[in-house]
Amino acid sequence: MPLDRETVKAAIRAKVIDLARALNIDARGVDDGDILPATGFLDSTAILELVVWYERAYDLSLKQEEINIDNLGSINAMTDFLLSRKTRSDA
Amino acid sequence: MPSPLRVPRVNNNDDSVRVVELAVKAGDFVTRGQIVGAVETDKAVLDVPVEHDGYVLQVLYRKGETASVGSVLLWLGENAGERVIEQTREVYAPRAATPARPTAKAQAMLQELGLAASAIPAAGERLTVGDIEAWLAKEPVPSRAPGSARITPTESPPDVAGTYHDLSAEERGMFLTVSWHRDHAVPGYLEIEYDPKAWNDYASRFAEQNKLLLSPLLALLAFRLVELAKKHPRINATVVNDRRYQYDAVNLGFTVQSGETLYLAVVRDAQEMNAGGFIATLGEVQRHAMGHKLSPSESSGATLSFSSMARWGVGRHIPVVPPQTSLIVAHAATRPSGGAVLGATYDHRLLTGFDVVQVLQSLAQAPA
Repeated sequence: MPLDRETVKAAIRAKVIDLARALNIDARGVDDGDILPATGFLDSTAILELVVWYERAYDLSLKQEEINIDNLGSINAMTDFLLSRKTRSDA
Repeated sequence: MPSPLRVPRVNNNDDSVRVVELAVKAGDFVTRGQIVGAVETDKAVLDVPVEHDGYVLQVLYRKGETASVGSVLLWLGENAGERVIEQTREVYAPRAATPARPTAKAQAMLQELGLAASAIPAAGERLTVGDIEAWLAKEPVPSRAPGSARITPTESPPDVAGTYHDLSAEERGMFLTVSWHRDHAVPGYLEIEYDPKAWNDYASRFAEQNKLLLSPLLALLAFRLVELAKKHPRINATVVNDRRYQYDAVNLGFTVQSGETLYLAVVRDAQEMNAGGFIATLGEVQRHAMGHKLSPSESSGATLSFSSMARWGVGRHIPVVPPQTSLIVAHAATRPSGGAVLGATYDHRLLTGFDVVQVLQSLAQAPA
Protein backbone atom coordinates (compact mmCIF):
# COMPACT_ATOMS: atom_id res chain seq x y z
CA MET A 1 0.00 0.00 0.00
CA PRO A 2 1.48 3.39 -0.99
CA LEU A 3 2.45 5.67 1.85
CA ASP A 4 0.30 8.70 2.43
CA ARG A 5 2.26 11.94 2.89
CA GLU A 6 0.05 13.37 5.63
CA THR A 7 0.00 10.06 7.51
CA VAL A 8 3.78 9.87 7.43
CA LYS A 9 4.13 13.47 8.62
CA ALA A 10 1.70 12.83 11.47
CA ALA A 11 3.60 9.74 12.54
CA ILE A 12 6.97 11.53 12.53
CA ARG A 13 5.48 14.51 14.36
CA ALA A 14 4.03 12.20 17.00
CA LYS A 15 7.40 10.53 17.46
CA VAL A 16 9.15 13.90 17.83
CA ILE A 17 6.64 14.93 20.49
CA ASP A 18 7.04 11.58 22.22
CA LEU A 19 10.85 11.77 22.30
CA ALA A 20 10.74 15.37 23.53
CA ARG A 21 8.35 14.38 26.30
CA ALA A 22 10.98 11.96 27.60
CA LEU A 23 13.22 15.02 28.06
CA ASN A 24 10.39 16.93 29.80
CA ILE A 25 9.99 19.18 26.78
CA ASP A 26 6.64 20.07 25.21
CA ALA A 27 7.14 19.82 21.45
CA ARG A 28 3.51 19.96 20.40
CA GLY A 29 4.23 23.25 18.65
CA VAL A 30 6.72 21.73 16.23
CA ASP A 31 6.10 22.73 12.61
CA ASP A 32 6.69 20.41 9.72
CA GLY A 33 9.27 22.78 8.27
CA ASP A 34 11.21 23.38 11.48
CA ILE A 35 14.87 22.35 11.37
CA LEU A 36 14.76 19.81 14.17
CA PRO A 37 18.26 20.25 15.63
CA ALA A 38 17.65 24.00 15.81
CA THR A 39 14.30 23.78 17.62
CA GLY A 40 15.84 22.62 20.89
CA PHE A 41 13.08 20.05 21.26
CA LEU A 42 15.45 17.12 20.75
CA ASP A 43 19.07 16.66 21.68
CA SER A 44 21.48 14.63 19.55
CA THR A 45 20.66 11.35 21.25
CA ALA A 46 16.94 11.91 20.78
CA ILE A 47 17.46 12.75 17.10
CA LEU A 48 19.45 9.53 16.79
CA GLU A 49 16.56 7.68 18.41
CA LEU A 50 14.23 9.34 15.89
CA VAL A 51 16.43 8.14 13.02
CA VAL A 52 16.56 4.58 14.38
CA TRP A 53 12.77 4.58 14.77
CA TYR A 54 12.36 5.99 11.23
CA GLU A 55 14.47 3.22 9.74
CA ARG A 56 12.58 0.55 11.63
CA ALA A 57 9.08 1.98 11.13
CA TYR A 58 9.48 2.35 7.37
CA ASP A 59 11.82 -0.55 6.73
CA LEU A 60 14.61 1.69 5.52
CA SER A 61 18.33 1.10 5.69
CA LEU A 62 20.14 4.43 5.74
CA LYS A 63 23.73 4.95 4.75
CA GLN A 64 25.63 7.10 7.21
CA GLU A 65 26.18 9.79 4.57
CA GLU A 66 22.41 10.05 4.02
CA ILE A 67 21.89 11.14 7.62
CA ASN A 68 22.22 14.87 7.08
CA ILE A 69 20.20 18.06 7.37
CA ASP A 70 19.12 18.05 3.73
CA ASN A 71 17.56 14.58 3.94
CA LEU A 72 16.33 14.36 7.52
CA GLY A 73 16.52 17.86 8.99
CA SER A 74 12.77 18.44 9.31
CA ILE A 75 9.51 16.53 9.31
CA ASN A 76 8.94 17.66 5.74
CA ALA A 77 12.45 16.58 4.70
CA MET A 78 12.07 13.19 6.36
CA THR A 79 8.74 12.65 4.63
CA ASP A 80 10.06 13.69 1.21
CA PHE A 81 13.14 11.50 1.59
CA LEU A 82 11.06 8.50 2.60
CA LEU A 83 8.57 8.88 -0.24
CA SER A 84 11.39 9.40 -2.72
CA ARG A 85 13.18 6.25 -1.55
CA LYS A 86 10.00 4.19 -1.62
CA THR A 87 9.07 5.46 -5.08
CA ARG A 88 12.53 4.56 -6.34
CA SER A 89 12.37 1.08 -4.84
CA ASP A 90 8.89 0.52 -6.30
CA ALA A 91 9.98 1.55 -9.79
CA MET B 1 36.63 -16.71 22.41
CA PRO B 2 37.36 -19.28 25.11
CA SER B 3 34.76 -22.00 25.57
CA PRO B 4 34.34 -24.24 28.59
CA LEU B 5 34.33 -28.02 28.73
CA ARG B 6 32.15 -28.80 31.71
CA VAL B 7 32.21 -31.68 34.16
CA PRO B 8 29.65 -34.21 32.87
CA ARG B 9 26.97 -35.90 34.93
CA VAL B 10 27.56 -39.62 35.32
CA ASN B 11 24.21 -40.48 36.83
CA ASN B 12 21.14 -38.70 38.10
CA ASN B 13 21.81 -39.23 41.78
CA ASP B 14 25.28 -37.71 42.04
CA ASP B 15 25.97 -33.98 41.85
CA SER B 16 29.69 -34.52 42.16
CA VAL B 17 32.19 -36.78 40.43
CA ARG B 18 35.81 -37.75 41.02
CA VAL B 19 38.34 -36.84 38.35
CA VAL B 20 40.20 -40.09 37.71
CA GLU B 21 42.08 -39.16 34.55
CA LEU B 22 43.30 -35.95 32.94
CA ALA B 23 45.34 -36.48 29.81
CA VAL B 24 45.93 -32.86 28.74
CA LYS B 25 47.61 -29.71 30.02
CA ALA B 26 47.49 -26.03 29.13
CA GLY B 27 48.93 -25.42 25.67
CA ASP B 28 47.96 -28.84 24.23
CA PHE B 29 46.03 -28.91 20.96
CA VAL B 30 43.03 -31.25 21.00
CA THR B 31 40.68 -32.40 18.29
CA ARG B 32 36.95 -32.96 18.39
CA GLY B 33 36.05 -36.25 20.02
CA GLN B 34 39.44 -36.68 21.68
CA ILE B 35 39.18 -38.18 25.17
CA VAL B 36 40.84 -35.71 27.53
CA GLY B 37 39.95 -37.33 30.83
CA ALA B 38 37.59 -39.51 32.79
CA VAL B 39 35.32 -39.01 35.79
CA GLU B 40 33.66 -41.52 38.03
CA THR B 41 31.14 -42.00 40.80
CA ASP B 42 30.64 -45.10 42.92
CA LYS B 43 28.45 -46.43 40.12
CA ALA B 44 30.23 -45.75 36.85
CA VAL B 45 33.20 -44.27 34.99
CA LEU B 46 32.72 -41.89 32.09
CA ASP B 47 35.22 -40.75 29.46
CA VAL B 48 35.22 -37.00 28.73
CA PRO B 49 35.60 -36.06 25.04
CA VAL B 50 36.06 -32.51 23.72
CA GLU B 51 33.34 -31.11 21.51
CA HIS B 52 35.54 -29.20 19.07
CA ASP B 53 39.14 -28.62 18.05
CA GLY B 54 41.17 -26.11 20.03
CA TYR B 55 43.99 -25.33 22.40
CA VAL B 56 43.71 -26.13 26.07
CA LEU B 57 43.94 -22.75 27.83
CA GLN B 58 43.53 -23.84 31.40
CA VAL B 59 42.78 -27.04 33.31
CA LEU B 60 40.92 -26.37 36.52
CA TYR B 61 41.11 -29.75 38.24
CA ARG B 62 43.74 -32.31 39.08
CA LYS B 63 43.52 -36.06 39.04
CA GLY B 64 41.89 -37.32 42.23
CA GLU B 65 39.89 -34.18 42.96
CA THR B 66 36.13 -34.11 43.38
CA ALA B 67 34.28 -31.74 41.08
CA SER B 68 30.73 -30.39 40.91
CA VAL B 69 28.73 -31.55 37.89
CA GLY B 70 28.44 -28.68 35.43
CA SER B 71 31.47 -26.77 36.65
CA VAL B 72 34.26 -26.01 34.18
CA LEU B 73 36.76 -28.83 33.77
CA LEU B 74 38.95 -26.95 31.31
CA TRP B 75 38.88 -24.00 28.90
CA LEU B 76 39.48 -24.33 25.16
CA GLY B 77 40.41 -21.55 22.74
CA GLU B 78 41.02 -21.08 19.05
CA ASN B 79 44.58 -20.06 19.76
CA ALA B 80 46.89 -20.74 22.65
CA GLY B 81 47.20 -17.07 23.61
CA GLU B 82 43.55 -16.42 24.46
CA ARG B 83 42.75 -15.30 27.96
CA VAL B 84 40.17 -17.04 30.10
CA ILE B 85 37.49 -14.55 31.07
CA GLU B 86 36.08 -16.19 34.16
CA GLN B 87 37.08 -18.76 36.69
CA THR B 88 34.35 -21.14 37.70
CA ARG B 89 36.17 -24.00 39.37
CA GLU B 90 34.03 -25.49 42.08
CA VAL B 91 35.52 -28.07 44.35
CA TYR B 92 32.55 -30.00 45.60
CA ALA B 93 31.73 -29.69 49.25
CA PRO B 94 28.48 -30.84 50.80
CA ARG B 95 26.63 -27.73 51.87
CA ALA B 96 24.93 -27.18 55.14
CA ALA B 97 21.34 -25.99 54.91
CA THR B 98 22.44 -22.53 56.07
CA PRO B 99 26.13 -21.66 55.61
CA ALA B 100 27.78 -20.12 58.64
CA ARG B 101 28.26 -16.38 58.29
CA PRO B 102 31.95 -15.46 58.08
CA THR B 103 33.55 -13.07 60.53
CA ALA B 104 34.86 -9.80 59.07
CA LYS B 105 38.43 -11.14 58.91
CA ALA B 106 37.23 -14.41 57.40
CA GLN B 107 35.18 -12.48 54.81
CA ALA B 108 38.26 -10.50 53.79
CA MET B 109 40.27 -13.72 53.50
CA LEU B 110 37.56 -15.35 51.39
CA GLN B 111 37.47 -12.35 49.08
CA GLU B 112 41.22 -12.34 48.72
CA LEU B 113 41.28 -16.03 47.85
CA GLY B 114 38.15 -15.94 45.68
CA LEU B 115 36.39 -18.58 47.76
CA ALA B 116 32.74 -19.07 48.65
CA ALA B 117 31.86 -19.20 52.34
CA SER B 118 29.30 -21.89 51.61
CA ALA B 119 32.03 -24.31 50.49
CA ILE B 120 33.90 -24.27 53.79
CA PRO B 121 32.61 -25.99 56.93
CA ALA B 122 32.59 -23.94 60.13
CA ALA B 123 33.49 -25.43 63.49
CA GLY B 124 31.20 -22.99 65.32
CA GLU B 125 28.32 -20.67 64.56
CA ARG B 126 30.49 -18.30 62.52
CA LEU B 127 33.06 -19.11 59.85
CA THR B 128 36.47 -18.01 61.12
CA VAL B 129 39.95 -17.54 59.68
CA GLY B 130 40.89 -20.73 61.53
CA ASP B 131 38.16 -22.64 59.66
CA ILE B 132 39.46 -21.38 56.34
CA GLU B 133 43.06 -22.21 57.18
CA ALA B 134 42.03 -25.70 58.26
CA TRP B 135 40.12 -26.15 55.01
CA LEU B 136 43.03 -24.80 52.96
CA ALA B 137 45.34 -27.35 54.52
CA LYS B 138 43.26 -30.05 52.86
CA GLU B 139 42.01 -28.35 49.66
CA PRO B 140 44.06 -26.71 46.92
CA VAL B 141 43.22 -23.08 46.22
CA PRO B 142 42.36 -22.21 42.63
CA SER B 143 44.67 -19.59 41.19
CA ARG B 144 42.98 -16.66 39.59
CA ALA B 145 43.63 -16.10 35.89
CA PRO B 146 45.48 -12.84 35.22
CA GLY B 147 43.12 -10.15 34.06
CA SER B 148 40.08 -12.26 34.80
CA ALA B 149 37.06 -10.99 36.63
CA ARG B 150 35.91 -13.29 39.39
CA ILE B 151 32.18 -13.91 39.44
CA THR B 152 32.05 -16.63 42.07
CA PRO B 153 29.88 -15.36 44.91
CA THR B 154 31.78 -14.92 48.15
CA GLU B 155 28.96 -13.56 50.27
CA SER B 156 26.65 -15.24 52.69
CA PRO B 157 22.95 -14.84 51.92
CA PRO B 158 21.31 -11.93 53.73
CA ASP B 159 19.33 -12.64 56.87
CA VAL B 160 16.20 -11.23 55.21
CA ALA B 161 14.20 -13.69 53.09
CA GLY B 162 14.51 -13.30 49.31
CA THR B 163 14.96 -15.16 46.04
CA TYR B 164 17.86 -15.51 43.60
CA HIS B 165 17.57 -14.35 40.00
CA ASP B 166 20.10 -14.97 37.24
CA LEU B 167 21.63 -11.85 35.77
CA SER B 168 20.55 -10.83 32.27
CA ALA B 169 23.27 -10.52 29.62
CA GLU B 170 23.34 -6.74 30.17
CA GLU B 171 23.48 -7.05 33.94
CA ARG B 172 26.23 -9.63 33.66
CA GLY B 173 28.25 -7.33 31.40
CA MET B 174 27.92 -4.53 33.94
CA PHE B 175 28.80 -6.93 36.75
CA LEU B 176 31.99 -8.04 35.02
CA THR B 177 32.99 -4.47 34.21
CA VAL B 178 32.47 -3.26 37.74
CA SER B 179 34.18 -6.35 39.15
CA TRP B 180 37.26 -5.72 37.02
CA HIS B 181 37.33 -2.13 38.26
CA ARG B 182 37.07 -3.40 41.85
CA ASP B 183 39.43 -6.36 41.62
CA HIS B 184 42.14 -5.19 39.24
CA ALA B 185 42.31 -1.45 38.67
CA VAL B 186 43.40 0.92 41.39
CA PRO B 187 40.99 3.64 40.41
CA GLY B 188 41.51 7.33 40.84
CA TYR B 189 39.25 10.15 39.73
CA LEU B 190 39.93 13.79 39.09
CA GLU B 191 38.37 16.61 37.17
CA ILE B 192 39.11 20.06 35.89
CA GLU B 193 36.80 23.01 35.34
CA TYR B 194 36.70 24.55 31.91
CA ASP B 195 34.67 26.89 29.73
CA PRO B 196 32.81 24.72 27.18
CA LYS B 197 31.85 27.67 24.96
CA ALA B 198 34.81 27.30 22.61
CA TRP B 199 34.03 23.62 22.10
CA ASN B 200 30.32 24.33 21.56
CA ASP B 201 31.13 27.00 18.98
CA TYR B 202 33.59 24.73 17.22
CA ALA B 203 31.06 21.89 17.08
CA SER B 204 28.36 24.24 15.71
CA ARG B 205 30.67 25.43 12.94
CA PHE B 206 31.67 21.87 12.13
CA ALA B 207 28.02 20.78 11.96
CA GLU B 208 27.08 23.69 9.71
CA GLN B 209 29.98 23.17 7.33
CA ASN B 210 29.27 19.46 7.02
CA LYS B 211 25.45 19.69 7.10
CA LEU B 212 25.34 17.27 10.01
CA LEU B 213 22.01 16.31 11.50
CA LEU B 214 23.44 15.52 14.93
CA SER B 215 25.59 17.79 17.03
CA PRO B 216 29.14 16.47 16.66
CA LEU B 217 30.26 17.91 20.01
CA LEU B 218 30.72 14.63 21.88
CA ALA B 219 32.12 12.86 18.84
CA LEU B 220 34.66 15.65 18.32
CA LEU B 221 35.69 15.52 21.97
CA ALA B 222 36.10 11.75 21.72
CA PHE B 223 38.12 12.19 18.54
CA ARG B 224 40.36 14.69 20.30
CA LEU B 225 40.89 12.07 23.01
CA VAL B 226 42.01 9.62 20.31
CA GLU B 227 44.50 12.19 19.06
CA LEU B 228 45.78 12.73 22.59
CA ALA B 229 46.37 8.99 22.94
CA LYS B 230 49.05 9.32 20.27
CA LYS B 231 50.84 11.92 22.38
CA HIS B 232 50.20 10.15 25.71
CA PRO B 233 50.23 6.45 24.77
CA ARG B 234 49.93 5.27 28.38
CA ILE B 235 46.28 6.34 28.42
CA ASN B 236 45.81 3.67 25.75
CA ALA B 237 47.26 0.79 27.73
CA THR B 238 46.55 -1.55 30.61
CA VAL B 239 48.42 -3.68 33.14
CA VAL B 240 48.83 -7.42 32.60
CA ASN B 241 50.91 -9.50 34.98
CA ASP B 242 52.61 -6.46 36.46
CA ARG B 243 53.66 -5.15 33.06
CA ARG B 244 52.26 -2.34 30.93
CA TYR B 245 50.41 -3.71 27.94
CA GLN B 246 50.54 -0.99 25.31
CA TYR B 247 47.80 -1.26 22.72
CA ASP B 248 48.79 -0.87 19.08
CA ALA B 249 45.41 0.51 18.02
CA VAL B 250 43.17 3.09 19.64
CA ASN B 251 39.73 1.50 19.95
CA LEU B 252 37.52 4.20 21.34
CA GLY B 253 34.70 3.02 23.58
CA PHE B 254 31.73 5.38 23.76
CA THR B 255 28.86 4.82 26.18
CA VAL B 256 25.42 4.64 24.57
CA GLN B 257 22.23 4.30 26.59
CA SER B 258 19.53 2.50 24.63
CA GLY B 259 16.39 2.07 26.67
CA GLU B 260 17.49 0.38 29.86
CA THR B 261 20.68 -0.99 28.33
CA LEU B 262 24.03 0.74 28.58
CA TYR B 263 26.45 -0.17 25.80
CA LEU B 264 30.11 0.62 25.36
CA ALA B 265 30.07 0.97 21.58
CA VAL B 266 33.54 0.71 20.06
CA VAL B 267 35.13 2.52 17.12
CA ARG B 268 38.09 0.39 16.17
CA ASP B 269 41.37 1.71 14.76
CA ALA B 270 40.26 5.25 15.45
CA GLN B 271 43.88 6.43 15.26
CA GLU B 272 43.76 6.02 11.50
CA MET B 273 40.70 8.23 11.00
CA ASN B 274 40.18 11.93 10.43
CA ALA B 275 37.48 13.82 12.28
CA GLY B 276 34.85 13.31 9.58
CA GLY B 277 35.53 9.60 9.29
CA PHE B 278 35.47 9.17 13.04
CA ILE B 279 32.15 11.02 13.40
CA ALA B 280 30.59 8.92 10.64
CA THR B 281 31.85 5.65 12.11
CA LEU B 282 30.80 6.58 15.63
CA GLY B 283 27.38 7.60 14.30
CA GLU B 284 27.00 4.21 12.72
CA VAL B 285 27.93 2.22 15.84
CA GLN B 286 25.67 4.49 17.91
CA ARG B 287 22.79 3.66 15.58
CA HIS B 288 23.59 -0.04 15.89
CA ALA B 289 23.63 0.28 19.68
CA MET B 290 20.31 2.15 19.67
CA GLY B 291 18.83 -0.68 17.62
CA HIS B 292 20.46 -3.35 19.86
CA LYS B 293 22.37 -4.54 16.80
CA LEU B 294 26.01 -4.03 17.72
CA SER B 295 28.33 -6.54 16.10
CA PRO B 296 30.87 -8.32 18.36
CA SER B 297 33.66 -6.09 17.08
CA GLU B 298 31.58 -3.01 17.87
CA SER B 299 30.85 -4.10 21.41
CA SER B 300 34.26 -5.29 22.61
CA GLY B 301 37.91 -4.39 22.53
CA ALA B 302 37.79 -0.82 23.82
CA THR B 303 41.24 0.48 24.75
CA LEU B 304 40.21 3.98 25.83
CA SER B 305 36.74 5.32 26.62
CA PHE B 306 34.49 8.36 26.72
CA SER B 307 31.24 8.81 28.56
CA SER B 308 28.80 11.70 28.80
CA MET B 309 25.80 12.17 31.05
CA ALA B 310 25.26 15.75 29.97
CA ARG B 311 21.87 15.04 28.40
CA TRP B 312 20.55 14.08 31.81
CA GLY B 313 21.77 17.33 33.33
CA VAL B 314 24.36 15.48 35.39
CA GLY B 315 27.05 17.93 36.48
CA ARG B 316 29.54 15.30 37.65
CA HIS B 317 29.79 11.54 37.36
CA ILE B 318 32.55 9.08 38.17
CA PRO B 319 32.44 6.17 35.72
CA VAL B 320 34.13 2.84 36.34
CA VAL B 321 37.21 1.99 34.30
CA PRO B 322 36.22 -0.50 31.57
CA PRO B 323 38.11 -3.81 31.75
CA GLN B 324 41.72 -3.73 30.60
CA THR B 325 41.84 -0.02 29.94
CA SER B 326 43.46 2.74 31.92
CA LEU B 327 41.25 5.78 31.35
CA ILE B 328 37.66 6.82 30.76
CA VAL B 329 36.75 10.48 30.29
CA ALA B 330 33.57 11.74 31.93
CA HIS B 331 31.84 14.62 30.16
CA ALA B 332 29.13 16.45 32.09
CA ALA B 333 26.45 19.07 31.64
CA THR B 334 27.20 22.78 31.44
CA ARG B 335 26.35 24.52 34.70
CA PRO B 336 24.06 27.54 34.89
CA SER B 337 27.18 29.66 35.41
CA GLY B 338 28.41 28.58 31.97
CA GLY B 339 31.27 26.47 33.28
CA ALA B 340 31.54 22.70 33.23
CA VAL B 341 33.80 19.92 34.40
CA LEU B 342 35.75 17.34 32.47
CA GLY B 343 36.56 14.34 34.62
CA ALA B 344 38.39 11.06 34.22
CA THR B 345 38.54 7.81 36.11
CA TYR B 346 41.90 6.14 35.63
CA ASP B 347 43.91 3.11 36.67
CA HIS B 348 46.41 4.52 39.12
CA ARG B 349 48.70 1.55 38.58
CA LEU B 350 49.58 3.06 35.24
CA LEU B 351 48.72 6.74 35.32
CA THR B 352 49.45 9.47 37.80
CA GLY B 353 47.09 12.32 38.53
CA PHE B 354 49.53 14.60 36.72
CA ASP B 355 49.31 12.45 33.58
CA VAL B 356 45.54 12.68 33.64
CA VAL B 357 45.45 16.41 34.33
CA GLN B 358 47.64 17.00 31.30
CA VAL B 359 45.28 15.00 29.12
CA LEU B 360 42.17 16.73 30.48
CA GLN B 361 43.69 20.19 30.07
CA SER B 362 44.55 19.42 26.47
CA LEU B 363 41.11 17.95 25.89
CA ALA B 364 39.43 21.07 27.24
CA GLN B 365 41.10 23.15 24.53
CA ALA B 366 38.92 23.27 21.42
CA PRO B 367 40.70 23.19 18.06
CA ALA B 368 41.14 26.62 16.50
